[in-house]
Amino acid sequence: MEHPAANYKTVPKKSSRSRLGTTWNHIKRDRQLLLLFLPCILFYAIFRYGPLYGLIIAFKDYSVFSGVLGSEWVGFEHFITFFTNHDFWMLFRNTLLLGLYTLIFGFPFPILLALLLNEVRNKWLKKSVQTFSYFPAFLSVVIISSMIIDFLSPNHGILNQMLAAFGFETKYFLVDPGWFRPIYVISEIWANMGYESIIYLAAIAGISPTLYEAAKVDGASRFHMIRHITLPGLFPTMLIMFILKTGSMIRVGYEKVLLLYNPMTYDVADVFSTYVYRKGLLESNYSYAAAVGLFEALVAMVMLLSANAVSKRLGGNGLW
Amino acid sequence: MVGERKISLFGVINTLILTLVAVATLYPIVYITAISLSDTVSVVQGKVFLFPKRLNFEAYGEVLKNDTIPRAYLNSVFYTALGTFVNLLFTAVAAYPLSQKGFFGRKFFMTAIVLTMFLNPGIIPTYVVVQQLGLTDSVWALVLPNAIWTMELIILKSFYENMSSQIREAALIDGASEYRILFNIVIPLSKPALASIGLFYFMGHWNSFFLPLIYLNDPDKYPLQVVLRDMLIYSAENDAGLVDRSALAPQSIKNATIVLSMIPVLLLYPFAQKYFAKGVMLGSEKG
Repeated sequence: MEHPAANYKTVPKKSSRSRLGTTWNHIKRDRQLLLLFLPCILFYAIFRYGPLYGLIIAFKDYSVFSGVLGSEWVGFEHFITFFTNHDFWMLFRNTLLLGLYTLIFGFPFPILLALLLNEVRNKWLKKSVQTFSYFPAFLSVVIISSMIIDFLSPNHGILNQMLAAFGFETKYFLVDPGWFRPIYVISEIWANMGYESIIYLAAIAGISPTLYEAAKVDGASRFHMIRHITLPGLFPTMLIMFILKTGSMIRVGYEKVLLLYNPMTYDVADVFSTYVYRKGLLESNYSYAAAVGLFEALVAMVMLLSANAVSKRLGGNGLW
Repeated sequence: MVGERKISLFGVINTLILTLVAVATLYPIVYITAISLSDTVSVVQGKVFLFPKRLNFEAYGEVLKNDTIPRAYLNSVFYTALGTFVNLLFTAVAAYPLSQKGFFGRKFFMTAIVLTMFLNPGIIPTYVVVQQLGLTDSVWALVLPNAIWTMELIILKSFYENMSSQIREAALIDGASEYRILFNIVIPLSKPALASIGLFYFMGHWNSFFLPLIYLNDPDKYPLQVVLRDMLIYSAENDAGLVDRSALAPQSIKNATIVLSMIPVLLLYPFAQKYFAKGVMLGSEKG
């Protein structure tokens, strides 16, 4: 569309010497832009690449007083401690299951909602359902968690009141290890369904209307059209969303776990990130926690890469 | 077509399901508001389901009388305002050079920036960096480590790329500096985009709970979300989960605080909706 700014001089690249000169001219020409860009460079260097450098404390015995460089090397000691710890398998299982359940059960709901919304002829109904359904996306985890606690409270929680009204025994759901995962997953679905459906609605809107018209002429019913036009049309979007979600699966929403769990449910609720928080920040075991965090990051990376590879095999469309 | 005018079974079921979805998402919020506006006796007896019983504003009075919550509220307002301002400034200033096709090192910078979306070192190394910089226990610990969100930067960069380059060229020929072009021309022209990403930043700061929890030690500096958590969820270190955690403070007071904390969100919601949807969509596209 637009051509590059007119004042850019094109200098032919010949020897390395003149290339150096070109670079210098380039910097001089862009000095104002570079100055504007400086905060960005500093930000990414300090707060995004700095911590990557700081990761070496996972291989050291970090103490705040000696700093990152001054602390003593210990090699893989923290990793060995972690892998041989009996907490390891518990954390691994909890993280994986919580992530997996959220992924499997949470994935279809936004799609279903988008499909149903798309079939609504009444504009007003469509608009208001959408407006309401993505309101929870604006609420903080603290508020969502406190609502969960409130609704499940044994004394005056609305769920227990209902149970009592129907003659069932009331229950304190939040100290029951068997209930932690369902509570977590259901509340995730509740909070994210509307918000995530936006993406699918947009994808549906992008499907060519001529396909539907042709199908109508051929006498296709609504279900036929959903099955043979809308769903295949949504497939690429679904795939991308699935990869993204698999990649972040291991990074379970630890803030919510942190707010909802308690020593009674640690066995099913404790995930890598909450463990990192407890060991690292509450017990000041920085190096050990950094090692756990590094392991978590590596697992996440592997999962993202394999999800992408699988998706390429399936439909040829990966993230990259 | 004739068939579409008719009321179909599918249509009825669909409407029913969608209404259910709307009710399910809205009900908890209505319920909380109703409790906050009811008198204590009705709440304790479990009489409130939808509408406030014996409407009163006592709970709100109590909340405002105590000084923890108003102070936390002011802290939140301050952190959110400062944080969003810094976010927008940093993002705009970074996106503008990146959007210029011939900008020195553009490709290298872009790669380095996008790469950080995949390389996530975790909480601890970031915490150590913030600590070493001496930012702990100050607002800057909440603002600087997240001054730019990569997704938002990419969104704004593509917005700038789509702006006509002729304006910039004309201004350059007139002898305007890049700073003038950015602050007097580009930024005023990009208000919709800035509003859109600003909203995400705003929500991020207002709802932020984990960062203030780990970076702030002084309770006087706590923002609303941390105070809410102490009040609603977490009583003390010895909370073994055996105590009913919903029994920490009177129900109506807790809910009044929740409602107060939602006010800025509710005020913004009508505008937020539009921009939010746009932002989500842009975010879902590949950078």
